[in-house]
Amino acid sequence: MPVDVETPWSGASRPDSAPLLRVEGVTRHFTVSGRRIDVLRDCTFQVERGEIVAVVGQSGSGKSTLLNVLGLLDRPSGGSYVFDGVDTTRLGEGRRSRLRGEGIGFVFQQFHLLERRTALANVGVPLVLGGVPLLRRRARARELLEAMGLGHRLHSRPHQLSGGEQQRVALARALSRDPALILADEPTGALDAASSTMIMEQLLEQARSRDAAVVVVTHDPQVAGRADRVVELVEGRTR
Amino acid sequence: MPHSLTAGIVLAFAGSRANIARTILSCAGIVVGVGALIMVVSAGDFGQKFATAYGEANAGLPATLHVTVEGRLTDRSALEEDLVRAGGRDLSIYQNPSKTPMLRSGDQVFSDVGFLGVDPSLGDIRRMHLAEGRWFTEADLESRAPVLVVNRTLADELGDLTQIQVGSDRWLDVRVVGVLESTALDFTWYSAYMLRAPASEELLFGTSVDTEDEEDPYVLTRTSQNSYQVRIDPTDPAAHDPFGEIFAERLATTSWRWGIESVDDIWVYRTDYGDEVDAVITYLSLGLAGIAVITLGTGLLGVLNVGLVTVRERRRELATYRALGASRFTLFVAVVMEAVVVSLVAGLIALFGCWAVVTAAGVVTERLVSLPPGVSLGIPVSAVLIGLGSAALVGLLAGVIPAIRALRASVVAGLRE
Repeated sequence: MPVDVETPWSGASRPDSAPLLRVEGVTRHFTVSGRRIDVLRDCTFQVERGEIVAVVGQSGSGKSTLLNVLGLLDRPSGGSYVFDGVDTTRLGEGRRSRLRGEGIGFVFQQFHLLERRTALANVGVPLVLGGVPLLRRRARARELLEAMGLGHRLHSRPHQLSGGEQQRVALARALSRDPALILADEPTGALDAASSTMIMEQLLEQARSRDAAVVVVTHDPQVAGRADRVVELVEGRTR
Repeated sequence: MPHSLTAGIVLAFAGSRANIARTILSCAGIVVGVGALIMVVSAGDFGQKFATAYGEANAGLPATLHVTVEGRLTDRSALEEDLVRAGGRDLSIYQNPSKTPMLRSGDQVFSDVGFLGVDPSLGDIRRMHLAEGRWFTEADLESRAPVLVVNRTLADELGDLTQIQVGSDRWLDVRVVGVLESTALDFTWYSAYMLRAPASEELLFGTSVDTEDEEDPYVLTRTSQNSYQVRIDPTDPAAHDPFGEIFAERLATTSWRWGIESVDDIWVYRTDYGDEVDAVITYLSLGLAGIAVITLGTGLLGVLNVGLVTVRERRRELATYRALGASRFTLFVAVVMEAVVVSLVAGLIALFGCWAVVTAAGVVTERLVSLPPGVSLGIPVSAVLIGLGSAALVGLLAGVIPAIRALRASVVAGLRE
């Protein structure tokens, strides 16, 4: 039985006409030992709701930095980033955390599951942060894990799961609050070919069924080939 | 804010449960410190109760004065009126017999019994714990036989309390109306309180009222030292006069009425020593509490150390929380609360340990020593509250620095680890 989870759009229709996110002239530089390193020089693109976008580029081209900016984990040095109609560059840390928790789901290459917690508990973490009561939280986590084909692994800890299973738990966690955007950083980078295919299929299927946009950073041409659109980063600039 | 707070607490509990080894490791120092604190408070509480019971039973309720008038009294009733006028609320004569009598039960004679002549009102001045029977009443004043209340040790030796006689030159039948619990508070091994009444007058004062003064039965000729226990208002300045001069001066203004000319013949001192015992216990408790606080401080450093190490080790986990939407405040609460949870667990372990030790000590003590009624070994509520409260406080203090460190860490760097 599906469990309702409150989202920023609960009780109101989403503003479908505007793009989900718009990045304009975003730059990001770091200073290391007094030397300035420009990682993002000029990134401009937008992502529509429900759109699957692959970000490709060589190592060091700024893909992960861009993903951190899109995920509100990092602030751009310049330019603007509007997510769901909100100019995030002007937001305080608290609002950014809230927007991130409510609107963005993460899938990491190394899964980043909490080692000593069960699959059920891992999927429940974003729901804890969203203030979802215990029983609803458990029901929602169970529903998502079952949808990922992990109904028999609810109480397994990460070290008891295969890489593919761990990534599916991470995917369930990313979907737990029904986000509008899923950011996936090399989601198949640590998996074998069969698991990679399965994860990508589940990621895309779940995103489409929820009308969630996906921005996936990848080196894998097969993964990029399944996206609606590809954004290429070359020396910190989008093409 | 409430969401963040609740989420932080939920994550903290989950984290403590998931990291049992870390929790146990952090606990050790706190267990010792909190245990020491609980024991100090419990010992202080026991000492306080024991001292109060001892003092109230042996020396009187707060603000009890011992008044001795040296010399021959011409009018004892006038003296007793003046004792009340000087501020006495309750008063009782407190007189050793002029010649210590003996007790006889069948063929057995007891020559080493400590006697004390008293009035029924001594029951209002002291705490009397009766094992059997009752304390003296006004009705006993009419008794034709001397009336006694004896301690349990003496009662056990006497056997049948209805066949007792008292005497020095000749034997008189006595009535034993009550038996007091034998405690460490008894003034001698075999103790007997004798009611001041016409029937005991000769035994107490060494002369018969009939032969000396038929007009006033309280005129005494042979007794040169006259003692009283007088309870006054604890707020009376005389209660706080260490040398009893205030009360003695009050009596001296009218001492001519009872045949005493000089204030030097009137001796007054406060018998109850609750204040002194309180002071000793307070200093002792402060010293022991100081040691406990130092131990607790060491425990705090242990929790702090483990907290700092784990925050460094858990950078990726904490960064993951942030990526999943945890605010800085949530993370702060989670890290601090983990330390608080660890400390509280340690506090509970310490409490359980102390309870076990105190219960065992209570069982042993009961077999070896007879404690005054109402005084027992146990862990008072104040010790529980202070123990757990200090544990929580230590956790709070030990959690703040790791929490601040956790907030300073870069989320992006944490996710890369």
